Amino acid sequence: MRKELPLALTVLTGLWVMACNYLQPVAKLDLFTKTEHWYVISGTAAFLIGTINLIMVHGKNIMRRKEGWYNSAILLIVLFAYSIHGLIVTQNDPKWQWFWDNVWTPVNSTMFSLLCFYIASAAYRAFRVRSKEATVLLVAAVLVMLGNVPLGKLIWSQIPNIKNWIMAVPNSAGMRAITLGVYVGAFAVSMRIMLGLERAHLGSGS
Amino acid sequence: MIFAEGMIADLLVMLVCVVLVFVFIYRARGGMKVPAIRKINGLEAIDEAIGRATEMGRPVHMTSGLGAVSDAETFAFWAVLGHVAKQCARYDTRIINTNYDEQVYAINEEIIRQAYLEAGRPDAFNRDDVRFISNWQFAYAAGTLGIFQREKVAANIMVGYFMAEALVFAEAAYQAGAIQIAGTTATAQLPFFIAACDYCLIGEEIYAASAYLSKDPILVGSVVGQDWTRIGLFALIIIGTVIANFMADPKKSPLYVFLKNK
Repeated sequence: MRKELPLALTVLTGLWVMACNYLQPVAKLDLFTKTEHWYVISGTAAFLIGTINLIMVHGKNIMRRKEGWYNSAILLIVLFAYSIHGLIVTQNDPKWQWFWDNVWTPVNSTMFSLLCFYIASAAYRAFRVRSKEATVLLVAAVLVMLGNVPLGKLIWSQIPNIKNWIMAVPNSAGMRAITLGVYVGAFAVSMRIMLGLERAHLGSGS
Repeated sequence: MIFAEGMIADLLVMLVCVVLVFVFIYRARGGMKVPAIRKINGLEAIDEAIGRATEMGRPVHMTSGLGAVSDAETFAFWAVLGHVAKQCARYDTRIINTNYDEQVYAINEEIIRQAYLEAGRPDAFNRDDVRFISNWQFAYAAGTLGIFQREKVAANIMVGYFMAEALVFAEAAYQAGAIQIAGTTATAQLPFFIAACDYCLIGEEIYAASAYLSKDPILVGSVVGQDWTRIGLFALIIIGTVIANFMADPKKSPLYVFLKNK
């Protein structure tokens, strides 16, 4: 029953969602939205699982005084203090909001800004004349980068137009082709799951 | 009207896909010849990456990105995770799995535990190596970056749905000296993976992972059925393009009316 019950639930849920979308009498009742609410509620219950794992992993780091254990201590203190404070005062409280605006948001922005440097280092490594395809990548990347800055237009007035053409025609064509394949592939995976052929999530490799 | 408005064309395309997949699954079950999946370098390199990590004595890292438990990409990740976990259990290589979604974390822990059990090494399974980091994108990225640097991962396998943190992971793992295999359906992140990773699975190649790694003829048959569906859709696109370009009023064509179902 350990594998049969989840498979049966999967099939029934899949058929139910299909009925909600394709059959007029069922679609009219808007039951799919109600089903989505159940999904959100079950996801909220799973939130506890993640919190328990965080407490266990970082708690062990602190107890064993592993290298950098003070980072784990800070994590757990902030986790509990901010959560309990938020539950008491709600998110409209100015002090709660201050932490969000002045600590969380800048830290988040800092991580996002790392992308700027990582893009430069990835471009430095990737844009090499190693092969025909790599050369095409290099030329296209240079034209698109120049087309996005005023310098490109100063060098040659047609560079922005070339960049627009590259983004609108070959780039869009490639992305749409990949997207089409992705949707068909996702549908095939869904079918395999409903037929019970895809069982990796049940913990069986066979 | 028994079918919902605007859904008949969707339903027919879906039924055609279902029939094609069933035909090839039936052929595979009956022992008839089914076309083989072409070589996918990224999937071939998985064993090489695990071997490298084993030789270096450093861990393998796996993540499914921002995928939720209901995403097809996450199911593709689980196929790869099961295979990698079994190999790591067999070769006594440490596997670290970082997670963004709590439900995915719970399932990943069970898959890895089961893999160690099947390999006869239940004692070697370390629960602390399967971690929920955060369900905020950049907090998850920051936590995973720290793991790359501290644990000095030798192989980084990323299969799933990624957003801006994709390049952060790829570059940080490169700096840690890891071989990288990445696959995603997010077309905006594919260029970053192609530029920064050693091997990249593009779009639907990740969905072929379960069939490719298991070599199960029934799963291979379903992938072939999916490919035939795509060929049919391309034919529909070509017909639609011809109609749109050569008919006086394309909106009056029977194909347009059928697809719009008005």
